Amino acid sequence: MKKHTHFLLALAVVLAMPLLMQSGSLASEVLIFALAAMGCNLLLGFTGLLSFGQGIFFGLGSYTIALTLTRWPLPMPVALVLAVVVGSLGAAIVGWVAIRQRGTYFVMLTLAFSQMFYFVAYTATGITGGDNGLMDIPRPNLSLFGTTLWSLTTPWQFYGFVAVLFMGMFALLTKMTQSTFGRTLLAVRDNEERAAAIGYNLKLLKLQAFVISGAVTGLAGALHAMMTGLAPLSNAEYHTSETILLMTVIGGTGNLFASVLGSAAYLLLGDWLSALWPRWLLLLGVALMVVSLWMQRGLWGLAEKLWHLLVARRTPAPLATPTPDAQGDKA
Amino acid sequence: MSTPVLLEAIGIEKHYGKFAALGGVNLQVRANTVHSVIGPNGAGKTTLFHMLTGTKTVTAGRIVFDGHDVTREPDHRRVQRGIARSFQVTSLFLSLPVRENLRLAAQGVAPSAALNCWSPPTGPRAQADVVASVLAKVGLEAHANTPVGNLSHGQQRRLEVGMALAARPKAIFLDEPTSGMGIDDLEEMKRLIQSLRHEHTVVLIEHNMNIVMDISDTVTVMQLGKVLAEGLPHDIRSDDRVRAAYLGNMITGGKA
Repeated sequence: MKKHTHFLLALAVVLAMPLLMQSGSLASEVLIFALAAMGCNLLLGFTGLLSFGQGIFFGLGSYTIALTLTRWPLPMPVALVLAVVVGSLGAAIVGWVAIRQRGTYFVMLTLAFSQMFYFVAYTATGITGGDNGLMDIPRPNLSLFGTTLWSLTTPWQFYGFVAVLFMGMFALLTKMTQSTFGRTLLAVRDNEERAAAIGYNLKLLKLQAFVISGAVTGLAGALHAMMTGLAPLSNAEYHTSETILLMTVIGGTGNLFASVLGSAAYLLLGDWLSALWPRWLLLLGVALMVVSLWMQRGLWGLAEKLWHLLVARRTPAPLATPTPDAQGDKA
Repeated sequence: MSTPVLLEAIGIEKHYGKFAALGGVNLQVRANTVHSVIGPNGAGKTTLFHMLTGTKTVTAGRIVFDGHDVTREPDHRRVQRGIARSFQVTSLFLSLPVRENLRLAAQGVAPSAALNCWSPPTGPRAQADVVASVLAKVGLEAHANTPVGNLSHGQQRRLEVGMALAARPKAIFLDEPTSGMGIDDLEEMKRLIQSLRHEHTVVLIEHNMNIVMDISDTVTVMQLGKVLAEGLPHDIRSDDRVRAAYLGNMITGGKA
């Protein structure tokens, strides 16, 4: 039961959104960015890599699906797979170069790639549509040999499709984080010097983490393009990297479900606040400060703390304090 | 002293810009011995360790381990040859439990397993036998599931040695294993190092002369990036050059 708690929590979010929300597009967006944030979390929370390159992989996914669906007569699932492949290839290239350095210089390298990709996308108007982006991306139904299996016409129909993919990816990524690979990543996150000293090839481990991250993020970018019918230049912009990073940090690092919380909080609060106050992004700055100063484990950490308080109040005499979280105590 | 040479370093140099941290060091370590490297601060002991274990690369010279030239091999490759090390400043996976630290160290010998994205580290991948035997050797059985960040300093120092042991190495490099330890922990560490000789070759950097003189088979004294003297502990203690390099009775541990 405990092993599947996070999967069930994610499932609860997926099932609750159609009941509580009016906009199927907004709900789809929450899941799409949750995918991207999970990809980012894999690097930041599990491997200790702060990557500003996530927007590249997101943009690559958007462009790939836009090009395949508008120019080649390929079935939609194949186009999605292609977007995943291109996303992971992009991540392999960025990762291969960036992991040559550590710390600040690693971050700078991902940032440099991010800027370069933006200008390449801006200049290559023949492929990316430049400033205008790519428009009129169709959203074909999911069909097999001419029979429609799943119509994706309405926003909520599309949400269902995204939800299935999302839950599938969530299960796969959870499995990955619990695998031998995932557990070794935690060692890299904790202490690179020791991880190398006991025999691990850090570059190989980090590269594999990058490729998986790029695959998930590419899928998110593709789904986003399908949802809006657009692959705008802004999907490939530095700002997208920043948004994905923000969601990841606000949700909490080192835990996949936290990324769902981060995406939901960012998009739902943003949606609500933007109606009240056009300068709502200012509040986002405040939220980031609060997280950085007082709740470094993000919304998930906060939820966990509240849960422990609740449990402690119900149990008359708590015998032992819950296991101290060494990760949170680390500076 | 008839055991074969396991590790040979020939003319090791390390330059940082114009500064020569190591100026041509030769070292022969025989199998199943405890070989200590001593010397005043700044003599280049830790730098030499970094060269031998592959943490950093040499500027010049050659390192032969167990018949293989490992000079150009990075540290993670040398682990597979049978070289493992501990650090002078404790370097562990603080948020992970003791058992997981040792499991990771044991798994590091066959690191390709670490790329497995599907199977969790259970069954044979849990390395239960190795982990259990190291836990017993370093006396941390009772703390197997404690996050390492919550251990005392002495316990962390013992785990530091355990991390090297978990790789089941031929040669184990210990960089000041007793640094910052209280008197109570010292004896335990001394016994631990002494017991390693049967299955491993130990190369030891140590400042505590009582320990060095009691447990070493060979002592190499370094000064200013060079080897000053080498020999049996007894000979080193009475060597005039060594006495001059050190201040007074530090080398003799007060036993003179």
